[in-house]
Amino acid sequence: MTDGPLIVQSDKTLLLDIDHPLSDDCRRAIASFAELEKSPEHIHTYRLTPLGLWNARAAGHDAEQVVDILLKYSRFAVPHALLVDVAETMSRYGRLRLEAHPVHGLVLVSHDPAVLKEVTRGKKVAPMLGLQLDAETIVVHPGQRGFLKQALLKLGWPAEDFAGYVDGEHHEIDLVQDGWSIRKYQELAAEGFWHGGSGVVVLPCGAGKTIVGAAAMAHAKATTLILVTNTIAARQWRDELLKRTTLHEDEIGEYSGSKKEIRPVTIATYQVMTTRKQGVYAHLDLFDAIDWGLIIYDEVHLLPAPIFRFTADIQSRRRLGLTATLVREDGMEGEVFSLIGPKRFDVPWKEIEAQGYIAPADCIEVRVNLTEDERLNYATAEPEDRYRFCSTTATKRKVAIALAKQHSEEQVLIIGQYIDQLDALSAELGVPLIKGDTPIKERERLFNLYRTGEIKCLVVSKVANFSIDLPDATIAIQVSGTFGSRQEEAQRLGRILRPKSDGRTARFYSIVARDTVDQDFAQNRQRFLAEQGYAYGIIDADDVLSANPD
Amino acid sequence: MSVNSFADELRARSDDAIAQLFAVRPDLLSPVPTDLSALSARANSTPSLMRALESLNKFQLEVLTSASTLTQPFSKSELLSVSVPEAGEELLRLWAAALVYKDGTKFRLPGNLGQLIGDEPAGLGPRSMKKFDFKALADLPVDSAAVLERLTWGPPRGQVGNIKAPGKSIAWLLEHDYLAVMDSKTVVLPREVGMHLRGGKVFKEYSPKAVSFVGTARKQKDIDRAAIANISNFLRWCEELAHHWSDEPPIALRSGGLGIRDLKRSADHLGIAENCVAFVAEVLYLGGLIVIDPDDQILPTNSFDIWMSRSLEERWSSLVSLWLETSRVSGLSGKVGEKNIAPLGPELDRAGISSMRKVTLNILAKNLESDPVIKNLQEIIAWQMPQRFNAEYIEWTLREAEWLGLTGQGALSEFGIAFLNGSDELGVERALPKPVDHILIQADNSAIAPGPLTVELANMIGTIADIESRGGASVYRFSEGSIRRGLDHGQTGEQIKDFLKKTSKTPVPQPLEYLINDVAKRHGRLRVGMAQTYIRCEDEGLLTQILHDKKLESLRFRKLAPQVLVCDFEAGDVIATLREASYLPAAENAGGILISAPAIRRAKSRPKPPRIISETSAPSEIVIKAAVRTLRTGEKASSHKPREVPRTTANETLDLLHQYIEEQASLTIGYADTNGGVSNRLIDPISISLGTLIARDHATGEMQSFRIPRITGVSPAK
Repeated sequence: MTDGPLIVQSDKTLLLDIDHPLSDDCRRAIASFAELEKSPEHIHTYRLTPLGLWNARAAGHDAEQVVDILLKYSRFAVPHALLVDVAETMSRYGRLRLEAHPVHGLVLVSHDPAVLKEVTRGKKVAPMLGLQLDAETIVVHPGQRGFLKQALLKLGWPAEDFAGYVDGEHHEIDLVQDGWSIRKYQELAAEGFWHGGSGVVVLPCGAGKTIVGAAAMAHAKATTLILVTNTIAARQWRDELLKRTTLHEDEIGEYSGSKKEIRPVTIATYQVMTTRKQGVYAHLDLFDAIDWGLIIYDEVHLLPAPIFRFTADIQSRRRLGLTATLVREDGMEGEVFSLIGPKRFDVPWKEIEAQGYIAPADCIEVRVNLTEDERLNYATAEPEDRYRFCSTTATKRKVAIALAKQHSEEQVLIIGQYIDQLDALSAELGVPLIKGDTPIKERERLFNLYRTGEIKCLVVSKVANFSIDLPDATIAIQVSGTFGSRQEEAQRLGRILRPKSDGRTARFYSIVARDTVDQDFAQNRQRFLAEQGYAYGIIDADDVLSANPD
Repeated sequence: MSVNSFADELRARSDDAIAQLFAVRPDLLSPVPTDLSALSARANSTPSLMRALESLNKFQLEVLTSASTLTQPFSKSELLSVSVPEAGEELLRLWAAALVYKDGTKFRLPGNLGQLIGDEPAGLGPRSMKKFDFKALADLPVDSAAVLERLTWGPPRGQVGNIKAPGKSIAWLLEHDYLAVMDSKTVVLPREVGMHLRGGKVFKEYSPKAVSFVGTARKQKDIDRAAIANISNFLRWCEELAHHWSDEPPIALRSGGLGIRDLKRSADHLGIAENCVAFVAEVLYLGGLIVIDPDDQILPTNSFDIWMSRSLEERWSSLVSLWLETSRVSGLSGKVGEKNIAPLGPELDRAGISSMRKVTLNILAKNLESDPVIKNLQEIIAWQMPQRFNAEYIEWTLREAEWLGLTGQGALSEFGIAFLNGSDELGVERALPKPVDHILIQADNSAIAPGPLTVELANMIGTIADIESRGGASVYRFSEGSIRRGLDHGQTGEQIKDFLKKTSKTPVPQPLEYLINDVAKRHGRLRVGMAQTYIRCEDEGLLTQILHDKKLESLRFRKLAPQVLVCDFEAGDVIATLREASYLPAAENAGGILISAPAIRRAKSRPKPPRIISETSAPSEIVIKAAVRTLRTGEKASSHKPREVPRTTANETLDLLHQYIEEQASLTIGYADTNGGVSNRLIDPISISLGTLIARDHATGEMQSFRIPRITGVSPAK
């Protein structure tokens, strides 16, 4: 028994004692194969999952190394069955290989005919396979590369992809580091991605994921397709690329609802890609328009299902996914793994905060007591209307206004889900509202005014959840959300995490109606951030109201 | 050869020799025999001899069997001539065990032992009292040689088609007396011939020594580390399984024992294999820590709580000693490809498993720091106890010893050695991680105990938080539900907070404190209770009067609100009592509406009139007409059906049958089978008795009996 920092639980969670002197070494060692599940202040929880262990295999670690690390750092004796299971799971990876074949293009190869037989029996897999060349080799149609990997993963026999990537059309891209320099973790992330071939980089909001994208492009030096959530994000990407790289304006195209430019670097929105005309995806050709060397998926946790399908077709191109929260409420993490790639880089939010790259933030939940009338109405509401009812009550509005007034000297964002609630708030506070039908031009104008400080307060709908760069926003007030979405909560907090010029702490208020589904959803929403170490303080709405008597 | 002489011989033995006999055959001691005759009778009894045989190793058994082939009494040199020189030493041991006794300078086997060994010891046939010279064997025909070869090593009997006309090879052998006739179809090889063919030795090979032990070398330090992990796992499984079953008790099968579904569920819960759960459950059951209640729920007992209060070492050693002694074999449950035997069920007892466990562990104890090769170990044990050997049991013993932590990496651990030596201190307590007396509470409302918690702490935290992850450490989560549970168990919000402040090394996060306050504030705001009848009255004075009225004391009213009293008696009784006390109560229904008329009492159950045994009454004309119509239609339909015997009434049938029996005429009957299907049979009736017709069936030509009530109709044969 050593006195290590790691406790290996029999349910395959690893508990890492952060206050232990060896915790840093241990974290670096286990990060390669265990998934960071949560990182609150004292004990971080990692989990051994098949995906994580296969990730490690993909990165060149073998089971023996993993077992050694566990034994080395473990505080208590490690359950033998767990070690056996680790070895067994890891041995499944790479028994099947996808390889390029000089004559047949793509082939599935295995030195274990039994495994090959097992997978060819799979109902989903069989139709994707062609002629069996010999006992160990089966032809695969190149177009099925993604789907096959997906299906094999589901069978528990992940294929190692050795078929390589096309280089794409060469295009000179370099970082221009004048007056700024790439941060260590950004560089590590970009390198991690590049050596892995394809994959996902997870960084907190505001930690500069765009730079990681730019660095990846500088590695690839090839034509790049960037997929983003909306037009505003597309413009921000363009501005950022112009600032950070050797790219010129005429080399970057925007492919959105309003513009359809195809340039060596093209930024397209998910929305335009998934637009259908007469039942046909009208803009799919974009994937083949240029011989892309790199495809970047921004906010990969939001990737819509059709894009997954297109992505399965382009497995020979390098793919980089960027996100702050690889939590998908739809449970499609497995698809991200097999189609975009494994997670290549991850770092706890608090660590970036400690390095000063994102602002520290206080999260506060404001509990609102509904009035008696409201409680009665809530109790009698239909179940499907309950959330809407309790999250848009007049009492909540009052508290939001009180908070906004309390912080009238700072840059405030009021974020909500329901438009009539936002309309009312915007009218009462006399501040502009940005919602889905606000024209792009108007949005940009308002955001610019906000950035320059001419507007101190903005009411925004969920259009501003992502990728909106508002460096000086320090206060966010959330009045309602998409039910219990954890990633939405994280993204919204992300809006105020850009480091402040005066090092100020940002503050995130979430207004919640007591004893309603709102409270239950809030608890779920907060889980991701709480697990990242953001402790939610809870205060009563009365305290807010009494501090602002008017 | 008589029991008496056996008794005399025992009588002549020295005290030391008798003491030695008791040492090797302890069953002779219980109860202590009254005198030496009684001892000799018992030592010669079949059960005792069987036990003695079971305790012999392979070589001893071989020697004893060889001795039994000899003419009694036999001398030592005779024995050595049919066996190997090492047999001499074993003969002394067998004598010490009173499996042979002295007759002068020679030896005899106790009377009953011969029967136990059997008529054909080592596959040798019966003695033929003839004189043999084996010269004729020189001319042995090839076919006959093949026959002898088959019979030489037993069994000595062979079947022939007809002893009067045997084949050439057999005939030759019979002629030369190399085979003897047993009965009309069997021949046997006489013992003398068998011994000659065996070269004068009873067994082809004797095995005076067991094979030597083979194992993979391990380091004691690694073994002990692995073992301590096993021990802590095992104790955790025990605890966890008992807790799990206390929360969701499985229901025992009707045939007794734990059902496969519950077993699977528990295996999922603990995250271990099913056979391991079965083992843990069995061990708990042995210790009386769980029990099958009369209502078939499987639940932890009070002994479990007592067990939990003991030190970890005591917990462990108490269960290990039970395991070592028990005759129950948990490995039998869930064996692949066989009928499922339920754990905790009545079918798990097997004799001899306990000694097999001890023998297995003893071998490990003699070969420290090595992980045995199962095959080799099985061979060794097969030599040591050939009568009881079972390869599977040894495999299971090793598996279970590993689960228990007696072994680690297959080899006997420090703790196992200490346990087998009966040491007072096993060192388990020292080696197990120290219980921690603190937790770490984090901002996400989870708490981590970075090691095993002391029992009191574990109990308290278990009440106010839900466990999320188990192992060396435990992760708990606080939630509204878990705090509420704590409050339900009688804690107050303040107590919970104090406990957490005292126990947590880290400050209690504000949201958790808020959560506790919030739940505590709301807890119990709604009160639910039971009352049978209420009294309400707008005149609060009157209610106070009723409450204090001595005449109404028997109703034991309680005041629920200024205008409401409740009590636990039927409304009718309450009204009657109130009236007697000259109040004027009125009854009201659930909606508060006055029931004006005195309620006429009605039964609460649904109407269930008794059944009527009906008598025939005159049917109405419509019914009669309909019946006639049906009859006609039926008749018409049946007239179209060929070959069906028309139905006759029972009386008609009987009359007709008697008539045909007299006339000795063939007839056709319709006969219903057990399913009601009717077939036609052409028969010659013979007699009727006891409601059965005996007749010859033309179809089969055999006599058959027909039950008269099943005969649907009779008609003359066409």
